Amino acid sequence: MMDKMLYIAMSGAKQNMQALSINANNLANAKTTGFKADLAQARSMQAFGEGQPSRVFSMTERASQNFDSGSILHTGRSLDMAIEGEGFFAVQGEDGQEAYTRGGHFRLTETGALETNDGELVIGEDGPITLPLPVNNIQIGRDGTIMVQPEGAPSTVQEEVARIKLVNPDTRLVEKGNDGLFRAKNGGQLIADVNVNVLGGALESSNVNPINEMTEMIALQRQFEMQLKMMKTAEEIDASASSLLRAF
Amino acid sequence: MNPALWISKTGLDAQNKDIAVISNNLANASTIGFKKSRAVFEDLLYQNINQPGGRTAQDTEAPSGLMLGAGTKVVATQKIHTQGDMITTDNALDLMIQGEGFFEILMPDGSSAYSRNGQFTMDDEGNMVTPGAGYMVQPQVTIPEDALSIIVSQDGEVSVTLQGQPDPAVVGQINLMNFVNPTGLQPIGQNLYTETAVSGAPQEGVPGLEGYGMLVQGALETSNVNTTEELVNLIESQRVYEMNSKVISAVDEMLSYINQQL
Repeated sequence: MMDKMLYIAMSGAKQNMQALSINANNLANAKTTGFKADLAQARSMQAFGEGQPSRVFSMTERASQNFDSGSILHTGRSLDMAIEGEGFFAVQGEDGQEAYTRGGHFRLTETGALETNDGELVIGEDGPITLPLPVNNIQIGRDGTIMVQPEGAPSTVQEEVARIKLVNPDTRLVEKGNDGLFRAKNGGQLIADVNVNVLGGALESSNVNPINEMTEMIALQRQFEMQLKMMKTAEEIDASASSLLRAF
Repeated sequence: MNPALWISKTGLDAQNKDIAVISNNLANASTIGFKKSRAVFEDLLYQNINQPGGRTAQDTEAPSGLMLGAGTKVVATQKIHTQGDMITTDNALDLMIQGEGFFEILMPDGSSAYSRNGQFTMDDEGNMVTPGAGYMVQPQVTIPEDALSIIVSQDGEVSVTLQGQPDPAVVGQINLMNFVNPTGLQPIGQNLYTETAVSGAPQEGVPGLEGYGMLVQGALETSNVNTTEELVNLIESQRVYEMNSKVISAVDEMLSYINQQL
């Protein structure tokens, strides 16, 4: 009978591969606006069965994200927005539910609705934001208010037309969904926070730290090799056991 | 095969596209009226390997699951319609738009295209046309053969002085077109854009009024490409490209190690 050590080492190698995929995804998104790096962690899972309960498998999890701010890039485009410090923009996900994002490259549709690059509507104080057309000279206030110059008015006149809903939940209470947007863990809507600061004409870069990711990748790679070494050792022990038996 | 290989491949692809966008910007750094593009990245869908909140025993749940992202992609290239710098040329038919708006250009097939490039010239009949292909400006402006000088006012009125006449004669009016979402215009080359469903319909206006830009005669708008910014972007993309290829070689080494050892 093959030693169970082989299976434990195999599960370890498999989990290392999955952790490496998280790593690869972070590096692939090193230039994605507002991206928050995923954190991989391993959890020990005890295996019960015959014999002593000495076997512990590992299980890789994506526990959470690194919520540190990325660096702010100034673009000068009026519909680019970045959040300074903590907080999220509220948008309407494809399922119609409220979701949250840090990516602030917004655009206007031909009907004047404000949406993300993926076509999710940006939510204001009273539902999705629509700007009155034609719009001139859009300015973004620090509290997320959108001001435009009314048609025919002198350029000094600015009229507030909408205010983006900004939230600042405890990051333990939000999770990243399959579409990369954040949602409240309990599925509800978060309440707006007036203390979130928005910067117009700027974008937040991805917060992936390439050095961390590369180091982690090397560590995972070496750990993977050690797991394989264990599998090799299991094979050798097994081979020597059968050659011992042949000797009799 | 290992998902990390394909995830990194999406990273390589996206950086490759980004470098193409950057090189196009740099190539057009001295194109009059050119607006720079930028590549917009987005993370791809996540795949649920272990569902968070899944039961681990009768009354315990997994506090966090395992969701693997599938990488990145370039979702759009966005034209950034910020104002370029002004250069004065003193050429009477060089026009610059200071502010928002586009010149309307009549295409050979009768449709309209829009441009920020104001380097106009005349054809053999005295019509104002674009410099490269010779497409006519709309509304049509014809300069009489015997005109001594051409004056274009800030609000688009074109007048000429004629021999023996003290007052300039008005020969045309250049109007500007604007769009709700200029980013949605489709660039078709030759400094021209065409209308799309997302740009909204063109709205005609008199230059200098109601938010339309003013016309400046004898000046041109340079490209809004910031070469320093593009070079920094290039460095960033190149390094991210290298890191993604590093992941591929790491996975390759791991797989080859399996084949050697087992």
